[in-house]
Amino acid sequence: MRKQRKKVAQNKINNLLEIPQEVSSNIPKVTITGFEQILIENYKTILEYQDFYIRLSTEIGILNINGFGLDLKEMTSDDLLITGKIDSIDFESIEDE
Amino acid sequence: MYFKILMGYILGYVTIEIEGYFTERFINLCNTKKIFLWNLKKINNGIIKANISISDFKKLKDIAKKTKCRIRICKKEGIPFFFNRYKKRKIFLLLFLLVLIGIGVLSNFIWNIEITGTNRINKEEIENLLAENDFKVGTSKIGLSTKEIIDKIRLERDDIAWVGIEIEGTSATVKIVEADLKPEIIPEDEYCNIIATKDGTIVKISAQNGTPVVKEGDSVTKGSVLVAGWLEGKYTGIRYVHANGEVKAKVKYSEKVKVPLNQVKKVETGETENKYSVKINNFQINLSKRVSKFENYDTIEENKKLRLFSNFYLPIEINKTTYKEYKNENINYSLEEAKQMAEKEATKKLDEQIQDKESILNKQVEEEIAEEYVEVEVIYEVLESIGTKEKIVF
Repeated sequence: MRKQRKKVAQNKINNLLEIPQEVSSNIPKVTITGFEQILIENYKTILEYQDFYIRLSTEIGILNINGFGLDLKEMTSDDLLITGKIDSIDFESIEDE
Repeated sequence: MYFKILMGYILGYVTIEIEGYFTERFINLCNTKKIFLWNLKKINNGIIKANISISDFKKLKDIAKKTKCRIRICKKEGIPFFFNRYKKRKIFLLLFLLVLIGIGVLSNFIWNIEITGTNRINKEEIENLLAENDFKVGTSKIGLSTKEIIDKIRLERDDIAWVGIEIEGTSATVKIVEADLKPEIIPEDEYCNIIATKDGTIVKISAQNGTPVVKEGDSVTKGSVLVAGWLEGKYTGIRYVHANGEVKAKVKYSEKVKVPLNQVKKVETGETENKYSVKINNFQINLSKRVSKFENYDTIEENKKLRLFSNFYLPIEINKTTYKEYKNENINYSLEEAKQMAEKEATKKLDEQIQDKESILNKQVEEEIAEEYVEVEVIYEVLESIGTKEKIVF
């Protein structure tokens, strides 16, 4: 409860200062350009990497990318650029207790 | 990120294949250790292809051990590898260096001299003059003082008002400004006659000083005295003076043109043949046989100096010789056509000689018709002043 209250307070401040969410917290930002490029910022680790399936873990859950011929074009510790034919993206959010 | 890839190319990168059961773990470990991977590609189940820079590649060893992955190098790319490839080729490197040195040395010489601004003066004369002063194709630029050469040329030639030598790369431009010739003026206190510069018939003669020798209507020849530089007085006797006055005369200009009725004219067939030769300094290498396959042909030669960049001339010339085939065709002109052509040509020639068109008094055309040709003579009568002063020599 305490933790949640703290979070709410932080959110309020951030809203007030208009700080973007992905900056203030470690929430991932997913940018899809066209159908063949997807940029994920603030990811944690790669859980699984296949030609047709990429599974990433993030702060708030797991991100699945289905597609065809997926390449990890550029990779740094917080950004990931994926190219290839993207079919679908789905999320599995972690429930807070 | 693009900057990193670019740096990777400059510093060299390798394409590796990572094989193992825990490739994802391998990637994650790389990420946490700040090892930059790019262009990751899944090839098979358990094989990943990736690019990595050389400096990072050395760090991979530990990670590979930890994740039990095998790493194999597929491709090496980048500048360090490129140079590495030529490490063994010592002669190639040596020659490459020699070429570089050669270019460096050759750039210290002048390989092209261009002379601009000459109208009356022959370019070859200037070239010879420059060569006498050690300024020719092939002279070194080092220790060359253009000022000295300019001074020498100006001392030697009176008809050059200004000389400038501009050296740009290996080409030199010699700019020349010609001086106007000095007009010969006879001072007022010296005695002189007025003489004729051209043949003609006197129309008007007015002597302000001196005694006119010829009358109006007289025909004079070139060089004859028109106004003599003396005066005769009753008491003073003959007294020499500076003759002065104006003499106008009708001068005849004529031009004869002969036009044969049967002419052989060249008609190009449109067939051409190109032949090339390379000229190095003064040594010519023909790349093909010099003899043309055509029977009748015109030869057009084109020279092209090779140059590096815009102004760096090399002592190599490429000559292109073009042979243009032509056929001889007989053309028969009618009498009228031939006459017209001849008259046109004669008039054109005369027009070039006469500057002042308004002073033309008369135009006469004379024809002479023979069996094979027509000869047309065009005569212009032009009113001109023909007197010039000439010093009296006792």
